[in-house]
Order: sequence, then C-alpha cells, then structure tokens
Amino acid sequence: MAEEAKTQEEKPQDKRPLVSRVPVKDKEMLDLLLADRGVTYYEEMKKFPVDTEAFKKTLDASCKSRIRTWLKICAHCGMCADTCFFYLANDRDPKQVPSYKIQSTLGEIVKRNGDVDTDFMINCMDTAWGKCTCCNRCGMYCPHGIDMGVMFGYTRGLCFSQGFVPHEMKIGSGMHWIFNAQMDVTVEDYVETCEWMVEENEEYYPGLTIPVDKVGADIMYVVNAREPKHYPQDLAVAAILFHLAGESWTVPSKGWEGTSLAMFAGDWACCKQQVENVYAAMERLKVKRYVGTECGHQHRATITEGPYWAGRKSGDPPVPGLHYVEWVLEALETGKLKLDPAKKIKEPCTLQDPCNYVRNHGLTDVTRKIMSYIAEDFREMSPNREHNFCCGGGGGMNGIGRYRKERNIGLKVKRDQILATGTKFVVSACHNCWDAIRDLEEVYKIGIKWSFLKPILLEMVIVPDHLKPKEEEEGANE
Amino acid sequence: MFKKILFATTSSAICNDASNAAIELAKKHNSKLYIFHALGFPTRGFGSHVVDFKTGEHEYYSPEYVSRIKGEIEKTYAAQLKELDNYTIETLAGVPHTEILRLARKEEVDLIVMGPHTKEDKGALLYRSMLGSTMQGVTQKARCPVMIVSCPVPKEKLEFKNIVFGTDFSKLSDAAFIFAYDLAKERGSMLYLFHALDITPGIGAAIFGQNEIDKCLYGIKDRIKETYVSKMEGFDNYNIRTWEGIPYMEIVKFARRKEADLIVMAHHSKEKDPDKAIIGSTMEQVVMRANCPVVSVNRQV
Ligand code: SF4
Ligand code: SF4
Ligand code: SF4
Repeated sequence: MAEEAKTQEEKPQDKRPLVSRVPVKDKEMLDLLLADRGVTYYEEMKKFPVDTEAFKKTLDASCKSRIRTWLKICAHCGMCADTCFFYLANDRDPKQVPSYKIQSTLGEIVKRNGDVDTDFMINCMDTAWGKCTCCNRCGMYCPHGIDMGVMFGYTRGLCFSQGFVPHEMKIGSGMHWIFNAQMDVTVEDYVETCEWMVEENEEYYPGLTIPVDKVGADIMYVVNAREPKHYPQDLAVAAILFHLAGESWTVPSKGWEGTSLAMFAGDWACCKQQVENVYAAMERLKVKRYVGTECGHQHRATITEGPYWAGRKSGDPPVPGLHYVEWVLEALETGKLKLDPAKKIKEPCTLQDPCNYVRNHGLTDVTRKIMSYIAEDFREMSPNREHNFCCGGGGGMNGIGRYRKERNIGLKVKRDQILATGTKFVVSACHNCWDAIRDLEEVYKIGIKWSFLKPILLEMVIVPDHLKPKEEEEGANE
Repeated sequence: MFKKILFATTSSAICNDASNAAIELAKKHNSKLYIFHALGFPTRGFGSHVVDFKTGEHEYYSPEYVSRIKGEIEKTYAAQLKELDNYTIETLAGVPHTEILRLARKEEVDLIVMGPHTKEDKGALLYRSMLGSTMQGVTQKARCPVMIVSCPVPKEKLEFKNIVFGTDFSKLSDAAFIFAYDLAKERGSMLYLFHALDITPGIGAAIFGQNEIDKCLYGIKDRIKETYVSKMEGFDNYNIRTWEGIPYMEIVKFARRKEADLIVMAHHSKEKDPDKAIIGSTMEQVVMRANCPVVSVNRQV
C-alpha cells in the first residue's frame, strides 16, 4: 500500500507532458507516447492552451496569398460536395462538404488571425485528419480550382505547430526524427534485412545481391519502412526483379526510407530533414535515377513535394525519380523483364488508382499499360484515373485510432466501387491503399483479394536461362 | 547437435505436443531454448495496433500488452519449464513466419520446433489468405532443420532410435540426408533410406506395369547406394527401402510400420497459394498424417 501511494505521488512530477507544440525528438518521449495508447494524450489535449501569439506569427510567416485568396473567393456553390467521398459515405451530411470543412476550420483561423481556443483547435484536428485524407479530388471539380486537400495539408501544419495532432501522427513524425523512418527500423536493421533476404533467395536466383551503397549505380531503390519491418519478402522480390532485369542498382544505407508520416502529421521541419536524407543518398551514391517502392505517399513526399521542402529551386529532386510502376512499365516495354503470357491473371480484376501518383502526379496510363501485360480481363472502376476516389485510408487515416469509425464509414465508397466492377481481385500498387482495401475486406467481408504488383510479376516473370539455378532437379523421375 | 532450439508457438493447445517435445529436447541436449510467439498482426497501417492472433481482438501494442502475453506464455509452460533454466520467451507483433525466421537467423539456432499451426486461432485465420501458412513459410525458407510435431511424442521416442529419411533425390534431399545421417550417428539409431516411386496417375505420366516398376525399384536401390550409402563411412546401421505409390502416403505408411521416431525429408513445394499448398505439398501431407515428428531440411547446414 505504502509503496503504491509513493509511486502515485511521484508520478505527476516526473511525468513529462505528452501534448506539446514541439515534435518528438527523443526516444524517451517516443516511448512514453507509445505506452500511452492516446488516452492520457487526448485528455491532456483538452486542457492544452493555444499560444495565440505564436499562432499569429506562424500565420504571418506561412499563410500566403494562394490560401487567403482561395478562402476568400469560394462562392459556396457546393459543387465540391459530392466530389468528396466522405460526403457521399455519410449520407450527404452538409458538415462533410469540403468547402464547409475548410471554411469552418482554416477559414476561421485566418479570419480570427489565430485567436482561437482549445476546443476550436480540437475540432480543427478532428476535421483535418478525421474528415479529409488530402486526396485532392475536390480541387479537380471546383470551378475556382480551390483545393481543400492542399488547404487541409496546410491546416495540419498549423495544428501541429500548436500541439493539436492525433496521437499516432505525433508518434509518426517522432519516428522520422529519431529513426529517419516511419518505424523503429535502424540503418543496421535495414542492411541486416537486405543480407537476410539475399541469403534466403540466392539459392533460387544465383548471383542475386542487394548492393548496399554502390556508388555510380543506375538506380537507387528506396523503400517504405514497413517492408523491412513486416514484409521483408517485398524487398526480396524487388531485388529478384532488378536482378532478372539485369539492372545496375543499389539501396542506400542512410537514406533508405522514402515515406514521410511527417507530411501527414504536418511537421514541416521533419518533412524537410526526412527528404534531405534521401537526396543526400542520391548525391552521395551518384546514381542516375531513383526508383521508389509501391507506395503512393512516398512518391508524393520524395518526388512531388519533397524538392520544395528541401528548398530546391528547380522543383526537382537531385536525380529523376520514378515510381515503381514506371520502372516496371519501362522494364516490360524494353523487354528487360519478360512475362509469360500464359500466366496472365485469368479472373476479372480491377485496379486501384492511388491519388498520390495518379491524380497528383499523372501516372494514369502507366498502370493501365502494366495491366495489359498481366491481366486478361481488366475492368476499370468507375470513376477512375485522376477521377478515382481515395481508397478511404489516405492522408494517415488508416493509422489513426481516433478516427477508425469515420474511416470505416468512408470505406463504403471504395467498397461499392469495387463491387460494381464485379471483380474479386484488386491490384493496388500503394501501401496505404493496400491497407485500406485489406481493412475494407475485414470490415465489410465482400470476398475480395488484393495484391501489390511485385508478387504478381514474380509469378509471371520468365527467368532468363543464364540466371537459372544450375541444377533444376526436381525429383527422381527423370 | 542442438545447442539452440527455437520453439515457435501459437501459445494455444494446438502446440502442446510440440511444446512437450521442444522442452524435452532442450533438456536432453542441454540446449538454450527460445520460446517465440508472434502475438498479433500489425494493423492500422503504421499505427500501434495489432489484431491478436488468438482472440481476433484489436489490441494496443504497448509494453504492457507484450508483457501480459509473455506472462501468459510463461504460465502455460510453467510446469515443464521448471527443470529448464536456459530459456527465454520472446513475443512481438508481426507476420509469424517472418518473425520466426528473423529470430532463427539472428540467434543462429540449430533447430526450429513447431506445431503444425494449422488449426489457427481466430485472429490468425483472418489473415490466413494473405500471409499463407506459417508452417509453409518457415519450412520453405529456414536455414536450419524444422521439426514439426503434430502428435504426442513419448519421451523415449525423442531418443530418435528409428529414423526414416525420405528422399526424392533432389539437391534439397542431400541436405536432409546429412542431417538424418549425423543424427543417426550421434544417437546410434537405425537409419532407413526410403524412396517411394511416384506412380500417382498423371504425375509420372506413364502408367507403369509391375515389371517396369520392379525394374525401376532396383535402379533406385542402386541410386540410393550411390548417392547416400557411399557417404556413410563405416556406418552400417542402415536399411534401404523402396516402395511404390503416392509418395506421402508411402512414407507415412512405412514410418508407421517401422514405428519410426522421426521422419526426415526435404520440403520444396513451389506452390504459393496457401490453400493449394496445404493439399499439394508432400511435406504437409506427411506432417498431418505421421505419428511421429517430421523434420524438414532445406539447406545444407
Ligand atoms: S466548389 Fe469551390 S467555390 Fe464551390 S463551394 Fe466548393 S470550394 Fe467553394
Ligand atoms: S481532399 Fe479529398 S477528402 Fe479532403 S475534402 Fe477534398 S475530396 Fe474530401
Ligand atoms: S491511400 Fe492511396 S488512394 Fe488513399 S490518398 Fe493515399 S494514395 Fe490516395
């Protein structure tokens, strides 16, 4: 009893507050947050004050004419309403109209020049992360080109600077600060995983390597931390396909991770340092090109937006950056990779267009051309291409416990899109979309399967004779 | 031979036979025992949530949760672990076969022992179609031998006095042979070198006549002598047997007839669809039917 009382007394003093305006940069704080499950965190948040002075300064420094103009010229015409999947999934709730969502949050902040209170900021947070995935679909339909996705991205940054950020997002950017990766995978862990994957597969693919830090390679391949953490075979398959295609390629040790939860979190400083790591690796290794794994937001963070974070005037990364699908198509078209047409997917299948490299980076035809190589009966979702709806889990939403219910409601739109194709197989070359589709199946049980491209390609690829194992002896019955 | 043993458990009753065998072996060989349980599947993207493999419930992946599960495992095996002091219990969230292989590689274990992990728990079942079977994943890629225990094994049978080595003459079978031979040498066991001529209609393509089969079987005997017996210096406690039929049925029947304590064979099913693979691969068929542990060897150790 006495013991207990003592520890309870001690707690408040040595306990560091979980909510703060600064990012998590030390392991101790990260562990505290991880151990908390968000409960104390959100309780603390309810009492966490807004620093209105600092807020004003942030606004002055960062809220530029584009945002201010957008907020002003919105005609409240409502044309953006049914472009947003949240609006559709929530029975056309007026509170889900994109223009309403942004006017009632960022609009107010700007109007009041940052003079807002805690409850207001919590509502901002719940809107910026819980009612928008930053999929930028609404922006395509607004007659004024007003993009709520962009504005919510900005709003998230404001929220972050004031400490009003979902628990998992705070942890996510903290991971990037501490590990330069979205998960606790160190450079050593990563290199170790590369070695492991070679060991596991070299017998079947003689000569297979994962060259780490090879200076002057044609391609630098960058992954998503989930791959070494939970799906190392994805890395193995990437290696096998590069190997079979005869590419000169490498993976960087430092700078191996290309994703950016910092972007979803609105931690601008962290975005910058994260992407600069990858750029430094490009420069250090003097590679010709960058290829990123099958991840949508990695591409957005490293190739589309990253150059601006890093202050690169050209707006381009140091070397040209390809999404994995671009490399695949190139390899197929140039014949570096040859697929066995007899192994094409026979059953009807459909394709998820990830916003982050389709709507926001124009890679619309690339995946369709790939589908023509791998599928016999490819059926489009409707709408599709740059008009496709978000998978339902973008912008970090998949990972945030606080908005799980909202996320699951939002998934209905993707579910119905998939059902309408009449297919049971969804190809998804994006980690986030893949997750959302998996969860969609878990929640709604519509009996679908889903896959990245890599495993499909591995099934179908023709191994050139000179790369086959010497003794392909299968059994006694010759 | 077994300095370090990794026992991969689902930490439910289905693994009881395997846990008995693993702990008993560790005692016998003075091994360090690693008890490993993948407690759940990481979900919610990068978020800190897992779906518990046993309950199917969403859990927050916190240090408390991990230590609670650890405690449960410790309790489950408490009675047996009493006489063992060199063991550790490890548990974390992840894809089970990936994490089993990762740990096995990191600790350079000599043997992985596991149950068939077939009757998977509620939570695990959810991800079955995506992750494939744990046994399949582990046996295919492990660098050390993997012992699958799917039936109760009396202590004395763990002496492995009767070992059946089943071969299909593949390169992988060579690795399996070395393991079986080394073990037989060490334990002073009887080693059966067994091959079943595959006469499954459709597979061997030709329907054999009995004469032809006999001819084949003679040839196979010679081949066994050439391939394996030639490598056994001075060891003569062996027996060559060749049967015809469906390989997995024959080896199981043979092992029963000889009251074998252990079947050793290579595993190389290329089938990736987990459901098909379960039915399709010899290894799984043998494991499910055998009344003794089965060791799968895939690498030269
Ligand atoms: S469509 Fe554009 S102008 Fe109309 S309400 Fe939406 S954001 Fe405002
Ligand atoms: S960006 Fe997407 S989720 Fe956000 S308001 Fe626009 S359409 Fe809706
Ligand atoms: S998860 Fe996929 S579909 Fe959703 S926003 Fe990201 S890229 Fe788009």
